[in-house]
Amino acid sequence: MDILVQTLADGLVIGAFYSLIALGYTMVFGIIKLLNFAHGDLYMLGAFVGYTLLSLLSGSGTGAGLMGIVVVLLLTMVIVGLIGMGIERVAYRPLLLAPRLSILITALGVSLFLENGSMIAWGAQYQVYPLQLSHDGWNVLGAQITYTQMGLVLISALLMLGLHQFISRTLYGKAMRAIAHDQTACHLMGIDVHKVIGLTFFIGASLAAGAGTMAGAYYGTVNFMMGFIIGLKAFTAAVLGGIGSIPGAMLGGLLLGMMETAGTFVFGGSWKDVVAFSLLILILVLRPTGIMGEKVTERM
Amino acid sequence: MRKWTSVITAALLTLSLGVAGCANQGQLSGASGGEDILVGVLLPVTGNNATDGKDMQNAIEMAIKKINDGGGVLGKKLKIEVADDGCDPQMATTAANKLVSQNVVAVVGGYCSGATLPSSGVFKNANIPMIVPAANSAKLPAQGYDTLFLINGLTPDQAQTAADYMAANQAKKVALVHDNSAYAKDLADFAKAAVEKSGGTVVAYEAINPEEKDFSALATKLKGIAPDATYFTGYYAAGGLMVKQFKQKGVFGLFMVGDGSFSEDIIKIAGADQAEGLLITATPTAEFIPDAEAFTTEYKQTYGNLAPGPFSALSYNAVNLLADALKRANSTDHDALKKAIKETKDFQALGQTISFNAQNTLDTSNFAVLKVAGGKFTLAK
Repeated sequence: MDILVQTLADGLVIGAFYSLIALGYTMVFGIIKLLNFAHGDLYMLGAFVGYTLLSLLSGSGTGAGLMGIVVVLLLTMVIVGLIGMGIERVAYRPLLLAPRLSILITALGVSLFLENGSMIAWGAQYQVYPLQLSHDGWNVLGAQITYTQMGLVLISALLMLGLHQFISRTLYGKAMRAIAHDQTACHLMGIDVHKVIGLTFFIGASLAAGAGTMAGAYYGTVNFMMGFIIGLKAFTAAVLGGIGSIPGAMLGGLLLGMMETAGTFVFGGSWKDVVAFSLLILILVLRPTGIMGEKVTERM
Repeated sequence: MRKWTSVITAALLTLSLGVAGCANQGQLSGASGGEDILVGVLLPVTGNNATDGKDMQNAIEMAIKKINDGGGVLGKKLKIEVADDGCDPQMATTAANKLVSQNVVAVVGGYCSGATLPSSGVFKNANIPMIVPAANSAKLPAQGYDTLFLINGLTPDQAQTAADYMAANQAKKVALVHDNSAYAKDLADFAKAAVEKSGGTVVAYEAINPEEKDFSALATKLKGIAPDATYFTGYYAAGGLMVKQFKQKGVFGLFMVGDGSFSEDIIKIAGADQAEGLLITATPTAEFIPDAEAFTTEYKQTYGNLAPGPFSALSYNAVNLLADALKRANSTDHDALKKAIKETKDFQALGQTISFNAQNTLDTSNFAVLKVAGGKFTLAK
């Protein structure tokens, strides 16, 4: 029993990271049908920007208190969000009307650029986050759940809830949904399509950056290649939930995190990626639309 | 006009080439025709491992200087000729051939096992003795070359050191974790054999991905098994996170890591609090060797406050061993020297006593167990 609870709790934390990244994948795919393979690297960029900001903060002698961490998290999300918008403007917008394959290859190029650029900027070795989070926590049914884990899941839940409200309640959210339906018609209706696409990239990138900063603080080390495998996992999560569907991405991430942790427990650590990607293959074979992606035409 | 310029350029180029050629020739004849004893040094001084290579070269130069200041060997001075193996098998072969053509008396060097394997063959063919201070793949002695001498402990020695420490500390149930790299898996396999030989049981044998960050599932699993000791044979990036997350989850028992994790970074990643009490099996660097303070101070003075690296003490020992063997052989003849090195008995060096066994490797390994105390590595009792 305690092992089951522990595994689910640990999986929930990993799943929350996957969900946040998967959201960006799914939103971008929903709106311009692009699998943005550079998305995992925005997560990495978020981890590094957060690292730099925290180093500055703790370097000035004030130390990073809880407020400091929250401020750094928000700042990082804004900075990387803007970078995400910049990437869309420079690399993807000129190719918006080109065949999908060209833009997909561009995404791979952007990914390489971000990885190697970060290696030049921050170095190839592992950087250690300048803070150690508390290891205290509750004992729930024999399982050890730390305050940090609770906090991370809570922040992720808040971010996802906020996004859901934004998409379903605001005018821009409505515009996003409309563009996902029919881009040309939206043009004709006088919606500034480019602006809305830019906004989508901003939100996607900042969610990934939020996940990156939190993961950096939670695990303690960051490295320029950390976005690669997690980007693929988040893609798996998005497909699992049904790519293009926002609730699907959230659900897919959490499910993947828990299944992966359970799989690692049963089969051993070296099988972790095998479990995740076997799941991807299974989903693609058995249910290509994913759990929530009922109708292929209607997204978001 | 243009034609003239090119003719002049060509003439100048030819001239400069000639001059450079002459200079080279002069150097060569100086090296081989002098009164010095020429020792070849084969190290990676470029590429990824250049830091360690440079550091070993520093230690070698320090030892040479000390020997020469004390009057040299056999009435002659020692002189080194450095060749770059770049940790690459092909470069190493070329570099080794270069040293052979310069007629070196003996060779000190070999950092990467991959590069040392072919270069040791070149020296075997030329019957030149080679003393290897760092490379320690079990494949090296397995070649059976009578010219090759290893003064660094091998992987089975490290596994034995770990098993001995566990047995001495009543750790009977042992969990082994490796990261699927050839080196780490090798060490874990040898450790399994060593633990079982000393009467312990291996209760878990797990593999992880080296890039993994989340070891919660492994920690939960091991917590259920409750081993007396966990031995991780991989590298520090995963090792540090594992130490941290095991402490978080409350996995009891000793935590020990192999020499791949012997880096200050493991303490930084795990956090000083969590790293407290962490055990490391490694060949101690100069700062942990009780009688090497003078060496460390001198090294720092000579090389602008640079701390000695992981293999500097061993490189220093290799040169001193060679000088000692030269004295005992009383000749620079390859066969006599080879015999003298082979007959080395209890040669006192920094942190080790060198005697060779039948495979020309260390009779007693130089591996030790270090412990993290107060955020620093110390020798474990």
